[in-house]
Amino acid sequence: MEIDGNTLLIIIIVLFLFFSTPGGDGVSSQYEFNQLETFKRQLSAEYESFERMNYNSGFRNITGFKLSLNDVIDDPQRNATYPIPSKDYEHWFQNQDYLILPEDVTSRIKNEVWSLDMDDLDENIFPPNITSSLLGRIQLVSNNKYPSIPMPIPRFYEGPTEFSDVTPPVGESYPEEWPVNSELHNVTFDTGQLTIHLTHVDKVASKLGSERKNFFNSQTDRWKFLNLRISLSDKSEHEKHLLHTNAIYDVRKGRILAMSESAKFHSRFAFPHYMNLQDGSDSDDKEMFESLKKAIEEYWKMSNFVKTLTMGDLQDWYDESVLKCEYMVFLQLSPWNQYTRDQIKMIDDELNWPLGRPANLSHLPPVTISKGILYSPDCGVELAFQDAKGERYELKIRSIRTHLLFGIGLFIAQIYLLLCQMHHTNTPSSVNKISVYCFSMINLVDGSLATIYFFAGNFLPELYLPLVTSAFACFILASVFETRYLISVYASQLNERNIGISTLLRGGHTNNEEGGTGTGTTVIPDESSISGSLYARFFFMLVTFTVLALSAMSWPRKLRMIFEYSVIIVLNSYWLPQIFRNAIKGTLPRRNRLRDQRANEAMGVRRQNKMPLLWKFVLGTTLIRTLPVVYVFTYSSNVFRHHRNVRFVVVLCLWLLFQIAMLYSQDILGSRWFLPRMSIPEGYSYHKAMPAQDLLEHGSTAKYTIDCAICMSEVPVRVEEVLETHNVDEQTYMVTPCDHIFHTHCLENWMSYKLQCPVCRSPLPPL
Amino acid sequence: MSLKRITKELNDLGRDPPTSCSAGPVGDDVYHWQASIMGPPDSPYAGGVFFLSIHFPTDYPFKPPKIAFTTKIYHPNINANGNICLDILKDQWSPALTISKVLLSICSLLTDANPDDPLVPEIAHIYKTDRAKYEAQAREWTKKYAV
Repeated sequence: MEIDGNTLLIIIIVLFLFFSTPGGDGVSSQYEFNQLETFKRQLSAEYESFERMNYNSGFRNITGFKLSLNDVIDDPQRNATYPIPSKDYEHWFQNQDYLILPEDVTSRIKNEVWSLDMDDLDENIFPPNITSSLLGRIQLVSNNKYPSIPMPIPRFYEGPTEFSDVTPPVGESYPEEWPVNSELHNVTFDTGQLTIHLTHVDKVASKLGSERKNFFNSQTDRWKFLNLRISLSDKSEHEKHLLHTNAIYDVRKGRILAMSESAKFHSRFAFPHYMNLQDGSDSDDKEMFESLKKAIEEYWKMSNFVKTLTMGDLQDWYDESVLKCEYMVFLQLSPWNQYTRDQIKMIDDELNWPLGRPANLSHLPPVTISKGILYSPDCGVELAFQDAKGERYELKIRSIRTHLLFGIGLFIAQIYLLLCQMHHTNTPSSVNKISVYCFSMINLVDGSLATIYFFAGNFLPELYLPLVTSAFACFILASVFETRYLISVYASQLNERNIGISTLLRGGHTNNEEGGTGTGTTVIPDESSISGSLYARFFFMLVTFTVLALSAMSWPRKLRMIFEYSVIIVLNSYWLPQIFRNAIKGTLPRRNRLRDQRANEAMGVRRQNKMPLLWKFVLGTTLIRTLPVVYVFTYSSNVFRHHRNVRFVVVLCLWLLFQIAMLYSQDILGSRWFLPRMSIPEGYSYHKAMPAQDLLEHGSTAKYTIDCAICMSEVPVRVEEVLETHNVDEQTYMVTPCDHIFHTHCLENWMSYKLQCPVCRSPLPPL
Repeated sequence: MSLKRITKELNDLGRDPPTSCSAGPVGDDVYHWQASIMGPPDSPYAGGVFFLSIHFPTDYPFKPPKIAFTTKIYHPNINANGNICLDILKDQWSPALTISKVLLSICSLLTDANPDDPLVPEIAHIYKTDRAKYEAQAREWTKKYAV
């Protein structure tokens, strides 16, 4: 390869960009360096304060916890500074003087959420691994009922105002000063939908950019670290909230405490105190406090928390703090008391490393959060929910895998049916009767499925193999079999492209026009160029449709449903173009066709006069394509969590049945039975008498016969002006649009190989 | 059908034989012919007589006949087995073509080789770069195998 100036320039620019990108911590200027250093200093200081904390002492200089609720009630104008004069830092009690939670909420948490009788820890057993996605309904309990805690953001998070700034500003800013576009997300709906994605954090990386991760938790039977993604939305999905929270799961008691974390709320230091909201004995509480504090310290040290912070983290914390309310989430898990501890361990092992242990996984109860309260100390919003349920992640993956396998079966069945159909229409004339649009629609669906499978494979690493296999099967079906078939159909119809459907249906003068195009602007199909253009069109449609479908997933519910329903109906109208095509090409009723066939067989001509689509193909394809839709719309616990809508499925099935009924009626009654006889155009007729003049020009003998170029024997021709030739049957010979004459059986035989005149190679209209 | 047409072609060949080529059945089998082509005088094959074997498929004339050189020949479009790279013997076949027309096409292929669609790339390369060497080689082969 030769490198010219431009290529060299691009290489240099790429190399420059590559080497000038900031290091692992994302720092690209002195200002940012100072920002990050301040950030780290602040967290280190708070961690030291946390280390000194014990069960009986309160929060000192920890961002977000400097004020308790009563501090705010006493003096609403107070700023969150440390130390506050006259505040008691040496003690800790579970009341408003020390907590940021109102007394009502605290008592609700104690009495309603974390209320399971915990005198005997062996009484209730909770699953150790609760990775899952839970669904539930959430209610707004109160909004602005309690005073909110002022939570300032340190100013050093802000970007530089001047390009030459080196040191970030000091001090703190309050919501009034934040940029206008920062909206504190206030919940305005009364009831809504709730989704909680729970994932476990078992290992942490101890170095920036390090792939190696280490276990950090020495008390795994007691504390589990979780990540929670909680999303709330109203039913029409106009208002959406998304929370990312750290959480700690108390395995012995089934309690989960989750708190969001941002520049204004350093919640990770508050877990030990807030996990202890219970009326237990003092010594137990103390022991629990120390145990959890130890777990958090282990996490802090093993993850090298301060050293691994990057500019990205700093930015994320700042954005979260400006845009979102902070939430404290108290959840109680339902116990799995039907199992013993050993059984649960076995189930867990079997899910992690399937070996075929005797665990009955199909009856595993869902992970259930029986009660939950979400409270936002800085926005004063309280939300509550009950019974959010979801399958264990591994089980869900398993069930998706089974569904995918079934899907692959469907693809293979479709490939088989398509091969049968291709075999059925193995001559150019019969392929000509197939509708391009019919197969384009089928092809579009399969192609988009392949793309969506492929995308999904990248997002779900556990399902990579089955998804990619499905994508491959689907892609083979779409881009090899269907597109090949489309190409041959398209090639056989290339010469009628310039005739609009209105012309085809208008009758009368179409006869001449269609004959005329045969000699005028016809093109000899060149399969390679057709395949190029068809593939280009296929991929363009594919990408457009896939992008549209993927973006539709984020539309508001109503719009999305309209889109979904109309797309399903439109894409399931695939027989409609074929019905039109049949009407245009015109096939005889079945009775007449059978009679013709017998006559042709007697003459030894293998003439193709059958319906273009194989019935096996029509019914099989419809079934294969409707099954998944019916499953998704009627089976309420389907893996895609699609809502149930039987009425739509019934409408869809009726629509498909109507199309099939139309096809069947065309088979029985002739494909044009529903059209008035007047509007039916005539196709090109190969059987016609010739003017004597033309015949002589083509080297006819005096007896008005001509040599058939195929069998090299004479063809008697009926000549209009000569009476003695009128005993010649027009059906015995064929005249091509280029005025070449052959025996009927000779030319029909040749036309089953190629639609091209043997003499002059000009294209022939299909039979 | 095929038998009738082959017989007809044979009769036509007998009645009006083309110059420089001849063809006829081998033994009793009408579907297997032998043909010969005289090297065209304005080509390096001049003076040679080249033999070809012709096999008709049962669905002749809808499928092309299988034609191969039995005499060794140095040509970019004809390989060592005698296979000929000619479009009308493959996808450009038309039932209106006859054996005599095909033989004439082969004759003109001997005069004007098609090095852009070669069957033997080495010969095609020599044909394009060193015409004199190609002609000398072709003449030598003709002398060696076809005289």
